[in-house]
Amino acid sequence: MISAETRAKIDAEIARYPVKRGALLAALHHVQAELGHVSLETAAEVAALFEIRPNEVLEVVSFYNMFFDSPQPRHHVYVCTNLPCSLRGARGLLRELEAHVGSHAGEPTADGRLVLGHEECLGACAYAPMMRVDGSYHENLDVGTAKGILDALE
Amino acid sequence: MGLKVPFVTSYLSEHFADDSTVGIEGYERRGGYAAARKALTQMTPEAVIELVKSSGLQGRGGAGFLAGLKWSFMPKGSDKPKYLVCNADESEPGSFKDRILLERGPHQMLEGILIAAWATGAEKTFVYVRGEYAFPADVLERAVGEARAKGYLGPKVMGTAFSHEIVVARGAGAYICGEETGLLESLEGKKGQPRKKPPFPAQYGAFGQPTTVNNVETFSHVPHIVKNGAEWFRGFGTEKSPGTTIFGVSGQVRKPGLYELPLGTPLEEIVMRHAGGPLPGRAVKGVIPGGMSMPILPASQLDTRMANEFLRERKSMLGTGGIMVMDDTTCMVRVACVITYFFRDESCGQCTQCREGTGWLHKIVSRIERGAGQQADLDVLLDVAAKMEGSTICAFADAAAWPVQGLLRHFRSDFEAHLREQKCPFPESFEL
Amino acid sequence: MPKITVDGRELEVAAGRTLLQALDDAGLLMNGVDVPHYCWHPKLSIDGSCRLCQVEIEGQPKLQIACNTIVADGMVVHTTTPRVQTAREGVMELLLVNHPLDCPICDQAGECKLQDYAFEYGVTESRTREPRRALKKRVDLGPTIVFDQERCILCRRCVRFCREIPGSGELTVQNRGDRSVIETFPGEALDNPYSMNVADICPVGALTTKDFRFKIRVWFLEDVPGICTGCARGCNIHLGVANNKVYRYVPRRNDAVNETWICDAGRMSYQRIGAPDRLEQPLVRGALPVLEVASGEAAIAAAAAKLSQTLARHGAGSIAGLASPHATNEDLFQLRRVLGGLGAGLAGVAVVRGESDAILVHAEKAANAAGARALGYPDAAPLVEAIRAGRVKGLIALGHDVLDAAQLDAAAAFAGLEALVVLDSHRSELERAAHVLLPARVAAEKRGTLVNCDGRVQRVVPAVEPAFDARDEGEWLQQLGARLGLAGFSDAAGYDARAVSRELAKSVAAFVGCDYDAVGLAGKPLADAAPAQAGVPAPGARA
Repeated sequence: MISAETRAKIDAEIARYPVKRGALLAALHHVQAELGHVSLETAAEVAALFEIRPNEVLEVVSFYNMFFDSPQPRHHVYVCTNLPCSLRGARGLLRELEAHVGSHAGEPTADGRLVLGHEECLGACAYAPMMRVDGSYHENLDVGTAKGILDALE
Repeated sequence: MGLKVPFVTSYLSEHFADDSTVGIEGYERRGGYAAARKALTQMTPEAVIELVKSSGLQGRGGAGFLAGLKWSFMPKGSDKPKYLVCNADESEPGSFKDRILLERGPHQMLEGILIAAWATGAEKTFVYVRGEYAFPADVLERAVGEARAKGYLGPKVMGTAFSHEIVVARGAGAYICGEETGLLESLEGKKGQPRKKPPFPAQYGAFGQPTTVNNVETFSHVPHIVKNGAEWFRGFGTEKSPGTTIFGVSGQVRKPGLYELPLGTPLEEIVMRHAGGPLPGRAVKGVIPGGMSMPILPASQLDTRMANEFLRERKSMLGTGGIMVMDDTTCMVRVACVITYFFRDESCGQCTQCREGTGWLHKIVSRIERGAGQQADLDVLLDVAAKMEGSTICAFADAAAWPVQGLLRHFRSDFEAHLREQKCPFPESFEL
Repeated sequence: MPKITVDGRELEVAAGRTLLQALDDAGLLMNGVDVPHYCWHPKLSIDGSCRLCQVEIEGQPKLQIACNTIVADGMVVHTTTPRVQTAREGVMELLLVNHPLDCPICDQAGECKLQDYAFEYGVTESRTREPRRALKKRVDLGPTIVFDQERCILCRRCVRFCREIPGSGELTVQNRGDRSVIETFPGEALDNPYSMNVADICPVGALTTKDFRFKIRVWFLEDVPGICTGCARGCNIHLGVANNKVYRYVPRRNDAVNETWICDAGRMSYQRIGAPDRLEQPLVRGALPVLEVASGEAAIAAAAAKLSQTLARHGAGSIAGLASPHATNEDLFQLRRVLGGLGAGLAGVAVVRGESDAILVHAEKAANAAGARALGYPDAAPLVEAIRAGRVKGLIALGHDVLDAAQLDAAAAFAGLEALVVLDSHRSELERAAHVLLPARVAAEKRGTLVNCDGRVQRVVPAVEPAFDARDEGEWLQQLGARLGLAGFSDAAGYDARAVSRELAKSVAAFVGCDYDAVGLAGKPLADAAPAQAGVPAPGARA
């Protein structure tokens, strides 16, 4: 169930667009901020809000990298492994981090704390290697610094 | 996060060193919003369009379409609402110039948007920021709030009869939303699948209304053109490609970073002088000049001047000026793996050639990289790339084909070495 | 009207049409001008993603997709150039990179557009050495459709169909790139009254019907043009026939009736042809008051005798006729002639009504109620009343709709009849009261015409022969009339429905110019549609 607070945020978003549906991505961001992912029930709820079919909400969720249709660990740690970052050791960094937390990219840690992943170019090419931890960038990383950032996540 | 100021600055970024210019007070103290005031109170919309046309400003989002000309496509008068869209979806690998323009120069961009809105009669601008740019989007929203508070947005912009509003919309992680009509679809709350053209956005754009889409940097040049004139603007860059751009240099160089330089600056100057050249003990092998979609240039072509008219002669393009440097430890087949993986991942999936072609290219290149390739594979790569070009709903398929063509054009020997030795012959190459 | 040139042929086309639409309008598409295509469909929105319909247009540097290019006066189009050929090869090869090599086990083989176009326009050898995408192969999408995700070429016709025609929108494309896959919302089924159309429009064997799955190879089927008899819409169909059996109905395009669609119930109504409740033998109620099997001749003799007796005892006014809304116009015209020869009084037609929708499904659940009305049969209510009141003693009844339409108990309602002669294709409660039952053919077994709800006269041909002695009602009536000694009836020559049809078109004003031969495969409107509408209950009313 989407909370009243999130509903209010969604309503505010809807007011900014000439057509209701324009606010859908913003609404999904808010919903995910509260609930962590978009379940089938949540998709149906959002669909009703926007007067579209639940399947259309799922279409959108499945198309975009930042929306999830299954429960997520508390933190997402994405190392950019695109070209400029790979040229500066991003993939080696990711492997070190995988060993450090004991999980492969794409597999949440056993304690549900975080999941490592690859990400495409994040617009930090000169500050490689780098990673995105939830909403923040961490750039110009070395292995030690990166491990420290992960350890600090709760 | 990152550097606050490009290593080399010019009119777009010279004020970035002053933190206070991120806010409206600091921006105005340096003369900000004077150009917008001039345009709205002293110039007609037509005059503004003529000015930008005569400046020769090319779009800075990768396509290089003349901005003034694009603005002139918007219907004059019209009972339909008109919109501007600012494409802040910057996702082209190697490009990070729009990011600094958002983080350090939000009001400069907003001022350009205001001027463009006045020129085109747009009542609202949607700034579509890629979802991962959380911090730049926050900065922008603060700036929009400041502008609104000062009456530079809303029902009576700067006390004139003109009204304008700005909405910051956030994407959710899909490169294809940087394509003009893919962006419009995403803005409308759908999957970012590009539209068939015609109709073009000026006829049928955001929410079905006449729309002009421009890049962050394109808007950022506009206040300077209005303030200083077309002649002044043409003083920078080349005759066909006037102005500066903020080049992003990354990869295997000593000083990766941002460099605001005139268009037409030789690539060698940017890479070897400004960015310090290759890492110690290494030599430049190849450089992708304009973001990952643009075909690679070999070290022997570093004398290429960075403007479309010169790059085209070398079978590449300026794109977004994202310069990625690869040195002589680098295996170009591995580079091809990274590139083809990206395009496969980001294809929206509509068009047959793109959906299947990006997948096939990646699978073949991966197999070659693993050491299981055959000579015939190289012909297949080029043939598939050729069949992906020029016949899809959007240019993504072309963008996916070009890098493969470029790599085989200049670094075929790397591929043949993989075929021959059935493994990567570059022991020091970056890991995959 | 703009003039364009296609492969050297000049065409005058309607303004605002796309190239594919213009070619389709002219009847040339894939029939003189080949522009192979997948995602485009004449009755769905333009998609533009398959990229197969690329053509060369003079003055344009890039090839253009014909489905989304509006015609312009003076446009010169080439569809057979080397560039176009290369583009087609490109699309075909790329589609086959992931498509599974399922032909030997795929229902679509023989009517598969991927096979056809690969053969016609594709490369002869596949160069891919990569493993193909592995997805689900037997997705139970709903009550009628099975979906093979691997075979799907993502033309999105099915997605657009569900959104645009039934409006239920069950299907969407999830994910992106080469991970795209078509799905319903988990737990939801593809379940709308037109669901099976997706199997027709799917160019490959990704969407197939559960009903037809693995039944027979399509190259064994003969496609016989016919009409669905499930309701008064009269959707045009092809009956798929092999071994004297109808295996399926598929819609036949008729832009004046059903476009390219048919409802699921109508599509499945072929099952009525071979249903176990077919009346297979003539039956006569003999001295013992039970029905006994008789020969056709004996049954006719018994029917004639019974009717003659009633005529003698109670007069011509006591004889009546009940028309079937399922019989052809020719059958019903024969009934009119017999009744006329007898000097009979009342006649009427009853039709079962049910649900209708705004798309194709009509409330009248029979194919020729309009034809019966156009032939002068009024609603059966007064007739039923007269039977109940005892004023009718002898009845020739075609079909048994009257039982359901008027909610009658046969034994009670028809108890007072001295002569009840029933001509019917399927068995019914009328057997309780009937004295003679004669097995009739269904539309798929006879030649004749039917009138649909819009007054369009359409024809049927015999697609299959019944395995038992069923005859056209018109043929039984011909023999009955001869046996009764009525003028104009002879059983010497065989029954010729086409001759009856010509006679009908001459005698009944509404049918002028609308005999069997004249209406052709596309049908023709009645000369006067008003009689077909006479006495039709208001929309939504149930009898």
